[in-house]
Amino acid sequence: MMVLDQLIIIALLTLLPAAVAGRTRTGAWVATGFYALQLYLLIQMAGVGSGYMVASSVMPIVVWQQTIELQMSAIGWFFAVITVGSALAASCFASGSWGEHYRQRGNSLGAFHTALALNVAAMLLLLSAADILMLFIGWELVSWAGFLLMFLGGRAAREAALHYLTYAIAGAMAIFVAVALIYSHVGQFGFEAVLSSVTRWSLAQQLVVIGLLGFGFLIKMGIMPFHLWQAAAYAEAPGPGAAFLGAISARMGLFALMVMVVQVVSLTPLIKTELVTGLFSLRDGLLWMAALTIILPTYTALKQNDARWLLAWHGIGQGGYMLLGILLADSMGSAGGILHIFNYATYQLLLFLAVTAVVFRAGTANLNQLGGLVTRMPLSFLAMLVGIIGLAGIPPMNGFVSKWLIYRSLITEGMPLLFVATVIGTLGTILSVYKLIHNTFLGQLRAEHHEIREVPISMWLPMMLLAAVVFITGFMPGLALEWVAGVQVAVGLKPITYTLGGVETINGSLNMIFVVSVLFFGFGVGALLFYSGNRSHRVNQLDNYAGGHFLTSETRYHYSADFYAGLMHLIGGWYRGSFLWFERGVVMTLSLFSNGAALFYRSIHPSLYLLATAVLVLYMVV
Amino acid sequence: MQQIALLVAVPLLGAFLLPSLARVHLLLARWGVPLLLLGLLLWTVPLLQQVESGAVAIAIGHFAAPLGISFYVDQLALWLVILLLAVTLLIWPVFKSKVHQQSLLLILIGSACGIILSGDIFNIYVFYELLSVASFGLVVERRSGAAYAATLRYLVVSSVGTVLALAGIALIYNATGTLNLADLARLESSDWDRTKAIAAFTLLILGFGVKAELFPLNQWVPEVYGAASSRIAALMAGVISKVALLIIIRLVVLLFPYPEVHQLLMVLAIAGVLFGELAAWQSRDFTRLLAYSSMGQLGLVFMALAIPGEAGVLAAVALALHHLLIKPALFLLAESWGRSLSQLRGLWYTQPLKVALFILLILSLLGVPPLPGFWAKWLLLSGLASLDGSLAAMALAVVAVATVVEVSYLFNLVRILVDEREQTVQDVPLTLPHSRVTGVLLSLAALILVAASFNIAAVGQHLQQIVQQAGDRQHYIAVVKPEIKP
Repeated sequence: MMVLDQLIIIALLTLLPAAVAGRTRTGAWVATGFYALQLYLLIQMAGVGSGYMVASSVMPIVVWQQTIELQMSAIGWFFAVITVGSALAASCFASGSWGEHYRQRGNSLGAFHTALALNVAAMLLLLSAADILMLFIGWELVSWAGFLLMFLGGRAAREAALHYLTYAIAGAMAIFVAVALIYSHVGQFGFEAVLSSVTRWSLAQQLVVIGLLGFGFLIKMGIMPFHLWQAAAYAEAPGPGAAFLGAISARMGLFALMVMVVQVVSLTPLIKTELVTGLFSLRDGLLWMAALTIILPTYTALKQNDARWLLAWHGIGQGGYMLLGILLADSMGSAGGILHIFNYATYQLLLFLAVTAVVFRAGTANLNQLGGLVTRMPLSFLAMLVGIIGLAGIPPMNGFVSKWLIYRSLITEGMPLLFVATVIGTLGTILSVYKLIHNTFLGQLRAEHHEIREVPISMWLPMMLLAAVVFITGFMPGLALEWVAGVQVAVGLKPITYTLGGVETINGSLNMIFVVSVLFFGFGVGALLFYSGNRSHRVNQLDNYAGGHFLTSETRYHYSADFYAGLMHLIGGWYRGSFLWFERGVVMTLSLFSNGAALFYRSIHPSLYLLATAVLVLYMVV
Repeated sequence: MQQIALLVAVPLLGAFLLPSLARVHLLLARWGVPLLLLGLLLWTVPLLQQVESGAVAIAIGHFAAPLGISFYVDQLALWLVILLLAVTLLIWPVFKSKVHQQSLLLILIGSACGIILSGDIFNIYVFYELLSVASFGLVVERRSGAAYAATLRYLVVSSVGTVLALAGIALIYNATGTLNLADLARLESSDWDRTKAIAAFTLLILGFGVKAELFPLNQWVPEVYGAASSRIAALMAGVISKVALLIIIRLVVLLFPYPEVHQLLMVLAIAGVLFGELAAWQSRDFTRLLAYSSMGQLGLVFMALAIPGEAGVLAAVALALHHLLIKPALFLLAESWGRSLSQLRGLWYTQPLKVALFILLILSLLGVPPLPGFWAKWLLLSGLASLDGSLAAMALAVVAVATVVEVSYLFNLVRILVDEREQTVQDVPLTLPHSRVTGVLLSLAALILVAASFNIAAVGQHLQQIVQQAGDRQHYIAVVKPEIKP
């Protein structure tokens, strides 16, 4: 039995403890152990990750005279590591006190763990697809497993999950049609057979297939204008589930896009199709879609007052960076896009877990009702701090490296306008993550939060480990760039030349070890000045007075509600909700048609139609 | 095998004897019907082996083909008979039905078997009329105003339809001088006027399409299923529609393998899928929702049938069998759930098993892998994708859109089912009648689905073998061996 078989079997076996005993502490920890085992098996397959071998399964399934085989190449391995790692962190987080608390509020913890295990197993199946049929089966399973995890929250979550499902099935059906079209032309399912046949197709045929596949994949990624489902669906899922979904679920669309469009069909038809001759190709259109996805959802995130929603909206925006990088398709830009998948997963997971920890203790994620928690939950604060530095793309965290690669590539490829667009997006990110950490941890501690303590070790340990990953891969990006180069080889892109500290190319070099050293040297000088001064005197935040009155915790001296009031005064008018308006329009059109159809069945003289047809037929005869 | 006519004769005879037997002893009548059906079922199952290598033609009373009444037994027909008997046995309420209903049921079974096995259009027509009459009686059983109104409507559509079918048969006889299917199958397309053939086909499907829920003849469906008892609806939507479908399959395969016919079917199927699913989307009543969805599903079956060649028949049979398994089970649920959707709120908390099974069944209906519904849908889509032309492209788009609409309304229902009920004063806790039998039958359907999805390769192969036999025109001719060339 090959390692890949073992991995799939273990992933399926994880369902067992999760479903049978997931509601107990032991069962949950056993499931967590199974994820650790999966991660161990993936590490055994590390050779796959560097792109020089492919793991195959020895259990072929034969359906309709076609053999379906599983096969994992570097790209599948890269995503699989992120998937299993995210599941491990989320499951560990959920296995201790969080689970107990979740169950006590009347939720089914067993269902949560089962849904998580189902998601991981489905994703691994998708990631080890070697043919279009298995890719589609995996895709559907991932869609439905995701739906299950979203559906487990409260009423709002179920509403959002249904919204998601409609979008997801629309995408899945487009992919299904594309798979059927490809199969009818090629007669085989395997990627290689499709790859060798597709080059002989006409441009129109290639574009139809790319259009259908792209529609499905972009929906999953939440690229505008198909993004409306995502924020609610991810934010309202149960805490660690939201973290897992936010970290990796939407990236399955990117995986499929890289495999099917970049690797199998190639981007050439997109570049060849010029919307404005010589100026603007279809690929440029997609690049601008990605850029708009960076900007608009990020500024929507800025307006959110719920920490989970804020993060979920950022998730959509960050997806734009990845798509942008991959569509650039040069070695630096695509490396940036691929690396961003990994980096984003680590800090998004971290941020969602930190927010869940806050919700666990404070009972709310409403940014207007929190504040000052840093003194009570220092570790969670540290976690969120590392996370937001990553999300904002500031050194020394890993988010900086991938964004730098994308910026650099945009400049060297001669796309300054897109570069400006990404910078506008990053500005919005910095503003909103500051709002997140400020309103949660800084400022005045509210009276009702005085008794709060730090979360237990089962929750802070995964956060600290993730924070360490975010920092280490920022300090030494070469660790992750090795896998990125493997992915690039696997999908047929030019691999990036990397060093442990970053990249070294003629287009520009980055050495994070140097950057971080300088940064910490600066911190060291500051610390030296700080500690060489007089002894600092620590005071309680209420040991203060205003207007001649001593403060009590009942007195609010610091407000965080309506955080960016001044900025909103300037840009508030730009928020029109046009996409919501459009979506409502589609639904209303559908209901119009639907009522028409029902009217047809309610009409009184059905036989009239028969007679009319009969007369027509008789006329034909005579 | 020579006694295959018993499948028609015994139920019909039973139907006439039943009222007299009931006078002797009520128990005799009550147990007579299920025992009779069980006997027939056990007698039919071993026959499957005999037709595995090739179909069998039987001339009743040894009068040879064009003159005598001929029966044609292949695997598809026998499977349909078996499923008809099995489903009826499982869902018929033995202890609740009156004697005359039992009689009508037997007539329905006998005539359905007649339709399935006949090798002659005129006999099919006769049995079809008989089946219609029996179904009128069964549908009106509740004797409510709505039931009368619905049945009247059904009666009008159905009888106008059969008259048209008769006209179509006359047209065929006028053109060819025979009504035996094997004789007609031997005709080359040059042998008769194409326009006349298309006209005859149109008239025939206007008649036979009524029961197969073909658009636009399915107007009676929502009202009738809403007004009749859900078991009758289950029987009609699940099995009787497939019997009518078999007639159309035979017509398309043997008599009219012409592109115009496929085109006509495709247009009707596209409209059927769209109208059915869209109407279901706005439906706020469980039974009606199922009825509309059933029409949409049969639209998919016709869409598959519109694909020329064996691939089309295979997809149509796969979709039809899948629908046959699932729809009766869903209609059984309507017995206790058959009401406004908003009244089903929170049912998950009182009947978790049924809700879970309901979700499994609709997942297969939507075509979620690895359930069998996915493979059936795959056959349809890959068949459509291999066709050229804008009609096929439109069909692909319609299947995709219809699935999205379907998922939207079915899972909206699921959302309602698991929604917590608000604890207000006027909100009494939901207690719907709880039938254990329904639970068992649902579990059975779900079990078959799961078992099939684990053995999908074997199921697929068997299905292919069945369809190869049914889709082979030359085989039909060779088996029946008609002596006179028309």
